[in-house]
Amino acid sequence: MATGLSAIFMANRAALLRFLRARGAGEDAEDLLQDMWMKLEAKDLGPVSDPLPYLYRMANNLMLDRYRSATRRERREQDWAEGAGGVMADPTEDIAVDDRMVLNEQLDQARAVLRDLGPRVEMVFRRFRIEGVGQRVIADELGVSLTTVEKDLQKAYRAMLMLKQKLDTE
Amino acid sequence: MINEEALGWVVRTRDPDFADWDAFTAWLEADRAHASAYDALMLADSELDSILPSEPVAMPVAANDPGLRTRRPLRWIGGGAIAAALVATVSIAVLNRSDIYSVTTRPGETRVIALDDGTTVELNGGTTMRFDRKDARFAALDTGEAAFTVRHDEANPFRVTVGDTVFEDAGTVFNIVHTDAATRIGVSEGKVIYNPQAEAIALRAGRALAEDAQGLRVMDIAPAAVASWRQGRLVYANAAVGDISQDIGRSLGVTLTATPGARAMRFTGTIRLDRDPALFFAQAAPLMGLTAVRRGDGWLLQEGPTKEGNGPQS
Repeated sequence: MATGLSAIFMANRAALLRFLRARGAGEDAEDLLQDMWMKLEAKDLGPVSDPLPYLYRMANNLMLDRYRSATRRERREQDWAEGAGGVMADPTEDIAVDDRMVLNEQLDQARAVLRDLGPRVEMVFRRFRIEGVGQRVIADELGVSLTTVEKDLQKAYRAMLMLKQKLDTE
Repeated sequence: MINEEALGWVVRTRDPDFADWDAFTAWLEADRAHASAYDALMLADSELDSILPSEPVAMPVAANDPGLRTRRPLRWIGGGAIAAALVATVSIAVLNRSDIYSVTTRPGETRVIALDDGTTVELNGGTTMRFDRKDARFAALDTGEAAFTVRHDEANPFRVTVGDTVFEDAGTVFNIVHTDAATRIGVSEGKVIYNPQAEAIALRAGRALAEDAQGLRVMDIAPAAVASWRQGRLVYANAAVGDISQDIGRSLGVTLTATPGARAMRFTGTIRLDRDPALFFAQAAPLMGLTAVRRGDGWLLQEGPTKEGNGPQS
């Protein structure tokens, strides 16, 4: 069933294709676009407030999923190669007490990193990344400029990504 | 290392309201490496989930978890020591040219201080403040609660120091509460800047800020609810009973404690202050879904409605 979204999709097909190519879809871009079309046809989504950004978001998510599953496959193959000589962990086992302690320790470190960024940066990051609030709303809440919020987020992200990197290599 | 440009796009495109997909496409087309840098960071972002404290506030600490317990206070001591060292050096410099005096009210007592510049500060009970005879634009709230009606002067803003925090007026009526555990401010007119030299968060009329163990939060507040203790009322929207009982204690001059269960409860509404504690609690406690019972010289707030034969007369 043709919805308003489908009509917008057809009108912007070329731009969406261009986006998927730029996103690195290569020769799969046409197929991905076809997938999107099928999804749109399959479920009647009802009115969407900003149809075009919605479609771009959908295309972007498709690409993220592709990248994610490709990376996971790679990691699995790597783990297999590395683990082949050793004992494989039983995947059905619950998280061990040791692992849970490690996880709690990591959460503590993350909390400390956030706290050290200062209260405003921490609050901005929490609102954005954990509670999913938009930057415009956060800027209004705090009476600061959008640029300030964006800078705070970059600062927080940088610190958190560095921490994650450090934890992963430990 | 982190690709800063790609990080910028992660932050922008992750916004629920992001709409500039044309600019994003243009950036991606500029260099084929951009897409993979963006993908890698977006994946790293989603993997942050495992180390993100999912709760918006601090996790409750188990009593048998000594690790966390000591970590927090230690950091506070560190900050406090630095702050104390700073204060020590500053006050030596300040003492030479200024005349700091301190004003304290007993619980239940209120007092109005009129400063030379036309600013008035109303102290609620159980409050200690410092002022400067030579500088009418300075005030420090050491503990308790005070309402400020400030004559605004763009060139020489009025500043209130609360612990390590500074509030700067921008033409303003506002109220600050400062206890061992928290600082809360509500703005009813004009604007106040929180820590102008650092965070510079601007609080308009109708906005409130709280800083406590859970971090920093800003929220809405009805302007009429700000400093309503001056009119013998306490007005709340979704406030913790723990905070409310401190407000009541300060305003009425009674020793008031609350059971942990009662402290965690929340209340929305207006409480009329009454000088007679027995009358006051008979009216106010049921409003909050609580019972007030006498405990020695003070009162205890506990959960649940008054049971038969368990009234204040028994």
